[in-house]
Amino acid sequence: MKALWQVALLLTITAILVLFALGLHNDPHAIPSPLLNRPATDFAAPDLDGQPLRLSEHRGKWVLVNFWGSWCVSCVAEHPYLLELAKKTRNRTDFVILGVDFKDTLEGARQFLARHGNPGYRHAFDPGQKIAIDWGVYGAPESYLVDPGGVIRLKQTGPLYPGWFERVALPLIQAAPTPGGTP
Amino acid sequence: MWIEIGHFAAIIAFLLAITQSSAAVVGITLARPAWVRVSGRAALAVLALLTLAAGTLVAAFLTHDFSVRYVAEHASLELPVFYLATALWGGHEGSLLLWAWLLALFNAVTVWRHWSTHARSMPWILAILGGLLAGFLTLILFLSSPFDRLNPAPANGRDLNPLLQDPGMVFHPPFLYMGYVGFAIPYAFAMAALITGQADEDWILATRRWTLFAWITLTIGIVFGAYWAYYELGWGGYWAWDPVENASFMPWLTATAFLHSVMVQERRGLFKTWNLFLIITTFSLSLLGTFLVRSGVLSSVHAFASDPGRGVYILVFMAILLFFSFGVLVFRSDLLRTTIHLESPLSKESAFLFNNLLLVVAALTVLLGTLYPLAVETLSDAKVSVGAPYYNKVFIPIMLGILLLMGIGPLMPWRRATPTRLRRDFPLPILLGATGLLLAAWQQVGHPYGLATAALICFVVGTHGLDLWRGVQARLAIGSPATDAQRLTPLTALRQLLLRHKRRYGGMLVHLGVVVMSAGFIGSGLFQQEVDLPLSPGDSVKLGDWTVTLTAMGEVARQNWTAVEAVLQAERNGQTITLRPQKRSYGKRTQPTTEAAIHTTWREDLYVVLGDSTRENTWHFRIYRNPLVAWLWWGTGLMVGGVAFAMLQGRRPVKGEAA
Repeated sequence: MKALWQVALLLTITAILVLFALGLHNDPHAIPSPLLNRPATDFAAPDLDGQPLRLSEHRGKWVLVNFWGSWCVSCVAEHPYLLELAKKTRNRTDFVILGVDFKDTLEGARQFLARHGNPGYRHAFDPGQKIAIDWGVYGAPESYLVDPGGVIRLKQTGPLYPGWFERVALPLIQAAPTPGGTP
Repeated sequence: MWIEIGHFAAIIAFLLAITQSSAAVVGITLARPAWVRVSGRAALAVLALLTLAAGTLVAAFLTHDFSVRYVAEHASLELPVFYLATALWGGHEGSLLLWAWLLALFNAVTVWRHWSTHARSMPWILAILGGLLAGFLTLILFLSSPFDRLNPAPANGRDLNPLLQDPGMVFHPPFLYMGYVGFAIPYAFAMAALITGQADEDWILATRRWTLFAWITLTIGIVFGAYWAYYELGWGGYWAWDPVENASFMPWLTATAFLHSVMVQERRGLFKTWNLFLIITTFSLSLLGTFLVRSGVLSSVHAFASDPGRGVYILVFMAILLFFSFGVLVFRSDLLRTTIHLESPLSKESAFLFNNLLLVVAALTVLLGTLYPLAVETLSDAKVSVGAPYYNKVFIPIMLGILLLMGIGPLMPWRRATPTRLRRDFPLPILLGATGLLLAAWQQVGHPYGLATAALICFVVGTHGLDLWRGVQARLAIGSPATDAQRLTPLTALRQLLLRHKRRYGGMLVHLGVVVMSAGFIGSGLFQQEVDLPLSPGDSVKLGDWTVTLTAMGEVARQNWTAVEAVLQAERNGQTITLRPQKRSYGKRTQPTTEAAIHTTWREDLYVVLGDSTRENTWHFRIYRNPLVAWLWWGTGLMVGGVAFAMLQGRRPVKGEAA
């Protein structure tokens, strides 16, 4: 009887210490999105030219949804890669890029694209952050990769970087048995 | 030049801390009192040297010496003097230095106050405190030195994190640390008692004031943190069950249990092992708090320093401390056998026992909620967070139980309560409790927790009032002599009663503070109202019986910030007040801070936060009605008063005390 609480006490302490020791290797800043592998929330919003844009129009393709705003400094850094990626994937029938311009003004967004180059894909205009909130975006830029079935497969917090598509996105796209065409 | 002197002083202090620890052990094993005297002198020298070290750092701040890296990172030319002087604990390195300085201070005070009265345990106390000091100084000197230079020195510093430029944050860390470090003294006495085998109540009597002091400063520290969160973070609340907040709350809970259970050991000789367990746990949890903040093992708004090297060191340090303390407790537990048992479940002892159980369960609940996300993240790839819903579900019932016991305790006699006595004492408070329940129901309090709290508050006030009244009556009866001229007036009797039992009635005042705070918790927790909407100048919104109108938007600038300021008029029953929430930009850091505008009355706070501009001439606002928040601060005031009063009573209980 006497030994019981003593052993239990020492074991509890050991367990807590081991937990901390293991926990030291965690990166507190890496937060996986709870939306991962869940169906993406559809959105319907006007694009920057006022034309209606729906995410579900692109069902059957991989969609890269890129959240940005003209107020966001890192988006400027990310922009050259988006220009390059848009150019490189223009001929793919199984992949599109959509921008979501959030917490922004039309004026600001147009100026941003005029100044830093227009990658040519469409942007949903989300001044009230409705889409951003639905998608759990907490900073910009953030990008989500949605598969042809409309399920979020990947989240990138922070800017996309050269080589991202080949190293991160392409393996997923190729691994999936896609009903759509080839490049 | 000065900072090198400070650095050098800290290094000497480190060596002397090791000397303090080892000389004490040598002294006691070789039975050479001279060595122990050396140890005691070393303790005083460590304090002087660390004071010098901290002093040079403060001086570097005041003279804007940006060649010191720590100063360059946490101050700027524009920073007001008040924040310059206190920027010492604006970052990781300086906070640790403050920790070590406080420990050195308490260490020296212990030598001064207890040298002759506790000669037998003193060497062990010195050894333990010296070891702790050396451990902290290792961390400071080798892993996070605040004395590093920058070459070349920048022309201006990076400024203090704007969120920390708030009076609440200036006082939060020192008080919290005073609490954390304060528990080191009772802890060291407890360990010395265990090692020397004198685990009677002597160590408890010796450290009664230390414990009270540590407990109240920890309380003040936690409340300052809540106050800061409420006024500076601008999310409408004061407590978010963030892991680091929890880290300060856990030792508070176990320390509260300790404060109560030591009384049982003093009076009845029970709970010896339990008390030792509680004080060791309390101090370990205090260190855990430091560990959590300083190692970045848990993600939280507070995890300022994410540095695995430091984390590993702190972990090793904790492991040594935990295994040493609990190991000694386990191996010496034979000493602590008693033949005394609880006589009846209806007694003060068992009321204290249940109070302790609830407080420790509460602490375990918090510990579980704090560690669970860490465990999940470590053992799987998922990330979870445990938030307010969990704590509210588990915690409020426990707290209600503690309130109930708080009401019962004072009226319970030691050893055994007779049914006659219970029948005499309890009807009135129960009646009051029922009245409270009805009053709350009449005021449209619908939530069961709200009703229960209202009833319990009245019940507690009832038992405490009755106890005081009985005390006065008893004193009048004792003091009633033959002639009327010598008869005590009730007021004199009350005064005598209070002055003779400072500890008891100080404790009751603390209870009253807890009651007032509970009202605040329940009021603000259950009845907060909130609107979240865009407003343009001229727009109005109704919230409760307030009509809030945005009248103008403007800009203001001060020494080191500029701000967008909204001017709002809030009108209720013909009374109009002006609120000015701000969104401040501190030039050097990009992150803007919100300054909520708060109108406080005894019934509620009207709390306005200015958000972003959504459209031209339109801004987002969040407006809250927070009932009874002011009661939290008043309750804390009562608790401070109560503890101060209780601390006036000396080390030994007053003769003939009949508590």
